Amino acid sequence: MILVYDGTFEGFLSLVYEVYYKKLQASQIVKKYPNRLILEDILVIEFSEKNSLKVLDALKQKFAKKNFETILNIFMCDSASFELDLLHFIILGFKDQRQLSNINISYVLNIQNFQKELFSNVHKMSGFVRFVELEDASLYAKVDSNFNIIYFLGRHFSKRFNNQRYIIHDLKRQIAFIKNDDFIGVQNISSFEEPKISDNEEKFSKLWKTFFDSIAIESRQNKKLQQQLMPLIYRTYMSEFL
Amino acid sequence: MKKDIFKKMQILSDSAKYDVSCSSSGAENNYKTGELGATHNSGICHTFTADGRCVSLLKVLLTNFCIYDCAYCINKVSNDIPRAAFAPRELADITINFYKRNYIEGLFLSSGIIENEDHTMNLILRTLKILRHEYKFNGYIHVKLIPGSDSRLIEEVVNLASRVSSNIELPSDKSLRLLAPNKTREKVLQPLKLARDISLERSGKPIGMSTQLIVGASPETDLQILNLSSVMYDKALLKRVYYSAYIPVNEHKNLPMIVDSKPPLLREHRLYQADWLLRFYNFKADEILNEQNPNLDEELDPKMIWALNNMHLFPMEINKVSLEELIRIPGIGLRSAYKIIKARRFQRLSFDDLKKLKISIKRAKYFIVCNGKYQKAIPMYRENIKLDFLKPAKPRELSLFDIDYSVITGEI
Repeated sequence: MILVYDGTFEGFLSLVYEVYYKKLQASQIVKKYPNRLILEDILVIEFSEKNSLKVLDALKQKFAKKNFETILNIFMCDSASFELDLLHFIILGFKDQRQLSNINISYVLNIQNFQKELFSNVHKMSGFVRFVELEDASLYAKVDSNFNIIYFLGRHFSKRFNNQRYIIHDLKRQIAFIKNDDFIGVQNISSFEEPKISDNEEKFSKLWKTFFDSIAIESRQNKKLQQQLMPLIYRTYMSEFL
Repeated sequence: MKKDIFKKMQILSDSAKYDVSCSSSGAENNYKTGELGATHNSGICHTFTADGRCVSLLKVLLTNFCIYDCAYCINKVSNDIPRAAFAPRELADITINFYKRNYIEGLFLSSGIIENEDHTMNLILRTLKILRHEYKFNGYIHVKLIPGSDSRLIEEVVNLASRVSSNIELPSDKSLRLLAPNKTREKVLQPLKLARDISLERSGKPIGMSTQLIVGASPETDLQILNLSSVMYDKALLKRVYYSAYIPVNEHKNLPMIVDSKPPLLREHRLYQADWLLRFYNFKADEILNEQNPNLDEELDPKMIWALNNMHLFPMEINKVSLEELIRIPGIGLRSAYKIIKARRFQRLSFDDLKKLKISIKRAKYFIVCNGKYQKAIPMYRENIKLDFLKPAKPRELSLFDIDYSVITGEI
């Protein structure tokens, strides 16, 4: 049976409820109703506040803190199809928390790998994200990633930019991590105007490009290795590659 | 003539590029409310250059003017090259502005010797003071200590820097005398010893220090080089030794001619592998090399060679042996070893289970038993294994572009 849900965390919890109590056998879980002909049964699961809250409470009660956080993190891997693995992971967790670290079980290993990928992405982006200085001296960065990472990035920069105001903007997901004098956290950004950049900006991005080009050693050139360590997806907003 | 800031940047980063160290790891995570900058324990790479090296720090020379005449060095006094110098405040401003744009983790500051050692060290110290005291910058700062400078200056720098280093450059005193007439081993080691003692006295913990050895400019064997590294690690003098394949930038009667103009990158790679065995896999230098075999094998990695020379220890039962033993199996790294330990708590592992855990057994398969089973195809003899492993060697020629360099980047 193919299950369809609305793609939100709450929608997924509603799905967990249905599967658990109606003993559904899911072969696939998708976010959009398939538009090609499929012979299998398709069931659309509507979001239910009551059911999702029930599942959430149960998760908080039954799951170790670490495992509960894993579930939240997996939802940040929003371009992967993690749903079926996560469903099995949750069902297993209700039976036996200990088994959730048994990486011999394929979906447990998959879930761990999703999480690993997420954090490796966060780690890389914490180096590759580029800020520009705005007219009001706050710092502004655009982010393009297959993962929903701005919360993690925002937390990372709250330490090192402790005396700065900054915005980390995920254009694709229309959200931003904002830190200013009276707010710190993630907000929805439905529309925005390109911000005004400070006069300093050109000088320093040009200096950076100068540095970047002259620090490479020609006789060791190895573009393949460069791309392996820094795939093109990361370079969308990196000034040295623009 | 006054050079513009872009020209300066170009000259002074170009002069610093042969220093391979660029890691920003190993510093305690620290930040202060209301201040700028923090270090990150695992280090962060902010970009990768066209040669595939990680850029973590703004690596520049304060100046490339130099009164020394070291044969291998691009900045030696007898070279006719463009020279420039940053003013301490100028460099501090660039550092802060780069940091705020998240270009870098911090500063890697080195310098040619201008006027004399103390004057140079003073300029470096002034840059550090502006960054730390005036701008309240808590990011990473790596300083190359100037050998021969006053111990009070060194002490001040050690108190402000996250890591310090002093490059030994050549693995033996004899080579130093030939190629770097202004340096001696003692002179190069003096600031390192001093820095260790100062930081030990202050906090009971030695400050992170590193050094660089040039490989292939002088006739030392890999054994001599590894022995040197291993002594440094044991004495807690150094946290890290960098190896730099010799790239000819000057001609000199005492320097080798590299005909095909490619630096010995494979040798450098093998040295890093051996170094990793020393630092993370509890190997001793004499287990890797000895007087009969003083150089690392080009065809096979050092762990594989060690295993082939110690066949009596194999095969190991993957379900029984300790972590210590697991990491001695060729092809099993620390991560795979931890995975195995974690997985075997729940069940006994077979070859298939290893595959499911996504552990590569390409190398390991000759050396392990899973649940009492050994792979049948290849008899467990040194020569058979070597032959089989290198069998598709012709198509898979050892190309430098296949080498996985991730281990020598700023990340651990």
